[in-house]
Amino acid sequence: MNLALQDVRRNPGRFVGTSIGMSLLFTVVLAMAGIYQGLVDDATVLVRSLHADVWVVQHGTRGPFADISRLDPSIEARVASVSGVRRARAFTYQVLQRQHGARSLRFALIGEAWPDQRGEELPLLEGRPLGQSHGELIADASLGLPVGTTLLLADEEYRVVGLTKQFLASSGDPVLVATRSDTQLILENLPPDAVRTERERRAERLRRTDLGRGQPSLEDLAVDPRWRPPALPSSTVSAVLVDVDGDARLDDVRRTIASWPDASVYTTDEQTKLLLDGVVEKPRRQLGLFSLILVVTSSFLIAAVIYMLTLQKTHDIAVLKLMGAPATRIAAMVLQQAWLIGLLGYAIAIAIGTQAFPHFPRRVVLTTLSLAGVGALVVVVSTLASLLGVAYALKVDPGRALEA
Amino acid sequence: MEAVVAERITKCYGEGDTRVCALNEISIRLEGGKIVALLGPSGSGKSTLIKAVGLVTPPDAGDIWMQGRLVVRAGEPTASASKLRREYLGFVFQKANLIPFLTARQNVEIACEIGGEPNPRARAMELLEYLGVTKRASALPATLSGGEQQRIAIARALANRPSLILADEPTAALDKARGRAVMELFGRVAHEQGAAVLVVTHDQRTLDLFDELYQMEDGRLEGWRDVG
Repeated sequence: MNLALQDVRRNPGRFVGTSIGMSLLFTVVLAMAGIYQGLVDDATVLVRSLHADVWVVQHGTRGPFADISRLDPSIEARVASVSGVRRARAFTYQVLQRQHGARSLRFALIGEAWPDQRGEELPLLEGRPLGQSHGELIADASLGLPVGTTLLLADEEYRVVGLTKQFLASSGDPVLVATRSDTQLILENLPPDAVRTERERRAERLRRTDLGRGQPSLEDLAVDPRWRPPALPSSTVSAVLVDVDGDARLDDVRRTIASWPDASVYTTDEQTKLLLDGVVEKPRRQLGLFSLILVVTSSFLIAAVIYMLTLQKTHDIAVLKLMGAPATRIAAMVLQQAWLIGLLGYAIAIAIGTQAFPHFPRRVVLTTLSLAGVGALVVVVSTLASLLGVAYALKVDPGRALEA
Repeated sequence: MEAVVAERITKCYGEGDTRVCALNEISIRLEGGKIVALLGPSGSGKSTLIKAVGLVTPPDAGDIWMQGRLVVRAGEPTASASKLRREYLGFVFQKANLIPFLTARQNVEIACEIGGEPNPRARAMELLEYLGVTKRASALPATLSGGEQQRIAIARALANRPSLILADEPTAALDKARGRAVMELFGRVAHEQGAAVLVVTHDQRTLDLFDELYQMEDGRLEGWRDVG
């Protein structure tokens, strides 16, 4: 006969009440594990979704997500010309925050190389890929912009034509996809006053040079809104994504591009590792410490609860001992009650988490591994927490059963 | 063969001037199939004797045999006390002391399990039937009357087929009629099951039910009477 189960069966309110209390702590532990997993998933989903064999980034930087990477757009053609490269795609990336009606939207904007790329490779949930070179967007569903929504960006209207599912940047911000030219328009957009001021400053700078003083007609050119001085750098790209012809050529392509003085090269795995080491490392430690504190707190609480439950059963334990019950049977009763409280609490925590986590601002990912891991932790914590109760139970004098 | 033989059992507490001997070289022989009363005023050492013979508190000195086996030599148990209790002893208390979260049957069944019965549930039901409480098998202790609780407690004490049942004032919490009924039950258990039953009691009205009476005074057995 299982004494622990019988006790639970006859006193369900006490055990369920205790387990609910424990479940709230376990829910937070589970949330920590899930947030960490979500952090890792979010950090790498963009890199994985872009399906590149090699990432070419600004020399000496760690790529557009972990660092700031600026490359001249001409590098796209240079990369494409390398032997073994099947396809090279310029990639721009910038996190922006814009007002949409009463809402403030924060998103990562990336540019697709129209017309070769239209977003077909993205995890589309609804709608379609980009169908024209200008004025269309693919948005992540978590932004809350349904298909057909019009968004005002850089003084122009952009229409949402497709929705992705869980397509997030390493910062956890949802991704908004446009053509690369639209992306540049949005990123480089300046208010009209700023444009006018810059034209005036350009003319002023020209007047201070011999060239400007010698050729006053150049001033008309400097203030012409359609003219871009050739001395100014063109728009930059964040990276170039490279698809290689077969794995065998990967090392050759890497070696060739890595020898260029203006570029660094990473494989997708290396880029992912950089993200995890850089972006996720500190939050991971933070979450780990929170979890540790919670686990220790849970242990003390379970220990206190089990100790109190054992104290309440002192007389029953004395009776069992007087009947000759072996120490293992007494210890098992206390230990099994700790397990029951822990596991019932954990089951409630999973139920609470399943309902509550989808409403968390950051994504909480519960994998089978993390569920099993936290479950094993609950068993270990319950076992350790029961030791105090077991020690007390084993010391109970059977003679107490004879006391009136 | 005597169910229990205790020789020169001594148990003292305290040191020096405060030393008090609750049991002073007590010897007692209890035969199987007999119900024996242990009488005496409070503080005379009755409960200490029960604890010593019940292998709950080992004596300071003396030997105890159970069914011919030496179980305490010079105050030291010769084997694990809990194992010896499991093999030879049954207990009934002033209050029934049933485990509150187990039903009547389960209270007996757990004792059968601990006693090593191969089919504890069947044995438990057999004992409940023997003591006339089968109908209350599924009841929790809190819903049982005092008399029913003591019957369950007696059934539990019989679970391991003990040589000796020790009962410490088992009728103290019962009225006269129920107290007498329980004492009659002890007599029946002793005579039918063959166990020796040692009952600590203050109830003079039931002494006619006992086979032997022992009187304790200041840690000594002062008198003995064979009622039968």
